[in-house]
Amino acid sequence: MPFLTYPLALLAAAAIPALAAIYILRNRYRRRQVSSLMLWEFAVLSREGGAKVNKLQLPLVFFLELLALALLVTAATGPRWQLPAHARPLVVIFDDSASMLASSGGAANAPRARAAVALDDLLKSRKFLSIRLVLAGPKPRVLASAVVTAPEVRESLGQWTCQAPDAALDAAIALANDLGGPQSQLLVLTDHAPPGTEFSGDRIQWWAFGTAQPNLAFVNATRTTHGDADRVLLEVANFSATASASAAYRITSGSNLLRSATLNLEPRARQRLILNLPANTPAIEAVLADDALAADNRVTLLPAVRKRIRVQNSLEDVALRTLVDKALDSTGLRSSLSAAPELILHNARVTPAGTNAWGFRILADTNNATSHTGPFIVDTAHPLARGLALDGVVWTTGAGQGTNQFGLPIVTAGNTPLLTTQTDALGREQVTMHLLPDLSTFTATPNWPILFWNLLTWRARETPGVMESNYRLGSEVAIRSLTNTVQLLLPGGASRTLTKSAEEFILEPETPGLYTVVAGVSRWQFAVNLLSPEESDLNTAKTGKWGEWEKPEETRREYASVLWLFVLGALVVMVSHLFLVTHSKGRV
Amino acid sequence: MNPPFRESLLSGEALGQRYALAVPQTALAGATGNQLGRRAGTSIDFQDYREYQPGDDLRTIDWNVFARTDRLTIKLFREEVNPHLDLLLDASRSMDLEATPKAAALLRLAALLATAAENARCTHATWLASDGFLRVANDTLLPSAWEGFNFASRQPLDEAFAILPPRLRRLGIRVLVSDLMWPVDPLAILRRLADGAAAVFVVQLLSQADTEPPEHGNVQLVDSESGEEREIFVDATVAAQYRDALARHRESWDTACRQTGARFVPLVAEKLDTSLPALEEAQLLVPA
Repeated sequence: MPFLTYPLALLAAAAIPALAAIYILRNRYRRRQVSSLMLWEFAVLSREGGAKVNKLQLPLVFFLELLALALLVTAATGPRWQLPAHARPLVVIFDDSASMLASSGGAANAPRARAAVALDDLLKSRKFLSIRLVLAGPKPRVLASAVVTAPEVRESLGQWTCQAPDAALDAAIALANDLGGPQSQLLVLTDHAPPGTEFSGDRIQWWAFGTAQPNLAFVNATRTTHGDADRVLLEVANFSATASASAAYRITSGSNLLRSATLNLEPRARQRLILNLPANTPAIEAVLADDALAADNRVTLLPAVRKRIRVQNSLEDVALRTLVDKALDSTGLRSSLSAAPELILHNARVTPAGTNAWGFRILADTNNATSHTGPFIVDTAHPLARGLALDGVVWTTGAGQGTNQFGLPIVTAGNTPLLTTQTDALGREQVTMHLLPDLSTFTATPNWPILFWNLLTWRARETPGVMESNYRLGSEVAIRSLTNTVQLLLPGGASRTLTKSAEEFILEPETPGLYTVVAGVSRWQFAVNLLSPEESDLNTAKTGKWGEWEKPEETRREYASVLWLFVLGALVVMVSHLFLVTHSKGRV
Repeated sequence: MNPPFRESLLSGEALGQRYALAVPQTALAGATGNQLGRRAGTSIDFQDYREYQPGDDLRTIDWNVFARTDRLTIKLFREEVNPHLDLLLDASRSMDLEATPKAAALLRLAALLATAAENARCTHATWLASDGFLRVANDTLLPSAWEGFNFASRQPLDEAFAILPPRLRRLGIRVLVSDLMWPVDPLAILRRLADGAAAVFVVQLLSQADTEPPEHGNVQLVDSESGEEREIFVDATVAAQYRDALARHRESWDTACRQTGARFVPLVAEKLDTSLPALEEAQLLVPA
């Protein structure tokens, strides 16, 4: 693409029409009456013989003067031409968030389509050393390897699906900087203005193609267990800044219509819908009427996961066993012992043998009992310690266990471990608790059932299957399986094989919909919904361009001057003009 | 009549007072008039003697000579003749070419010649060549009294001869004033003019627009008589070709005039006053 150092010099181009006007006025046919045409017969015959093509009768020197003038005007602008050796790499950052598909006038008006067209135009008009593509979803991702031509870029844009619940543009820009190097030029294609009042991104151009428009959306959707029933909560928001809206919604389960009504929402208001469903109700689907953004008009909710743990309570002390049973029952996560236990509570100093169950032992040695009132040191990051509040608690333990001989401490009082855990060679967790219930207030506080809720939840998390059945788009889904590979069936019908690299499969679904995991004979399902208020709010969408890739002096370095070419051309034309004038016997 | 035309006639009449028509000897023959002819006649001016021949007027016998020589001798007296000028004016459209003084110069020249003829005691008749040759109204009077000039004819001069030829006086002086701008064999015209004429003068009256081609550039030429149009680009070459064509045209008339004993005098309308010596040189006019 050419670059003009002094574009104002183009004003001199006004001389071109002036020259044309002079010639046209000079060469227009002047009417002249003559006594007779008899003396002009020679000229008439000559014209009729072969000069009819030149109707305007503009002499050749006119075109030469025109060409010389155009060349001189172009030379005056200081033209520069980008040389291939000076081309710089380009890194394009694509906003992959769902709002890039928002459009009330067809897909062609969506920011994604408009951005793709603008990028295509840019690549046709300017050459880059290489082009890297970065997809800005919740985490930035590099699309393919470096490409050079516009068709290659178009081919890669198939992966730009705009389904993400968020676009981490800052992280994507940082990745693009690393990817392209200090000489690279960055182009951000999004639907909103850059952050801050003044955009001063160095080497970055920020192109936005969004349009502010009203939108109704599901912004929250949960389905939780509530006793034996499921409770469904849906939250609908009106993201219009000025207009009230009526949101017609339908909630179905298969072919059964569960509810259909209309919500009247004030500008920027939200409204919640709560449904209580029998636990055996299959997946439900809630749908809003079509509007600017289609992705946030539909949610699918599967029945909540009910994982319960088979617990064998082998504690010897009756009072303590009773206390534990009450705590276990209060969690609602304990199931009957229909099969081998998954958790054994006991008082033995050794690990129960011959079982894959986790162990939870309570050591109540009454010798040299010591009461601890704090301060307690709690590893709050551990699943067992979540929600524990030990201030004011009296925790009494027996003597003799002074050193940490039972693994990683979770709760300690000074250097005295009170609650520890250890993973044995089979991957089982063995939790040890030092506690004299009779001399402690711990069992009388809410910490007691919380501890067992944490214990059962932690254990349930380690059982095969998915932890939850409904996820927001962008959140991690953890799947536990006893097999090393699982088959993941995607909402579109495609499938992927996942290979275990750690204890569990971690995946980040990229599109909303219903997913199925097949692990041997086991099948689990989970649903993913957009539920992203930031993406559904289209009021901040904007169209515009911000930033420059380089300063003019940098551009001059990148572009080589071709002024000499135009001056040389003008000289050649002027010499030709002179030759014609002097050798044409007056026919000029 | 058109006031400018009247002014031209008056101007030519005033200018003609300074000249007289140069009457050639051949013109001094013809009907009885007020000038002495070159032949014997009935005037009182003695010319010669000769022997009586039967049929001679007995009144011319010089009886004194008979008494001395006993021979009948008669006295010959100079003939009295009245020389005549036939002025043939081209009244075609081209003689009133727009933006040129051709028509005015034509009338001025005609008035001059007629007045000069008066000064030379010649009778004169003025013919307008339009759709045939027609006498100018009051042409026997002074030019300032002439009427009926209308330069609207599309007929070339040879066509006018064919339609209605002029009744030209024998042994008269015939002056054709025209721009000669039509394609014709000059000899055909000149032979008709020279037949029975004492002298024939062809005055080609052109304007500067006729003698000089237009300036360089594109020109749409319009034939003043036929209305035909031509678009050409005039450059130095074309201008030179035009001048060559005009020179050849004049040369053809000059040659034809010499072949028929006529005189060819080219004049330029804009330079009429300074061109009058050419008429003297051609022995058409003499100072009065």
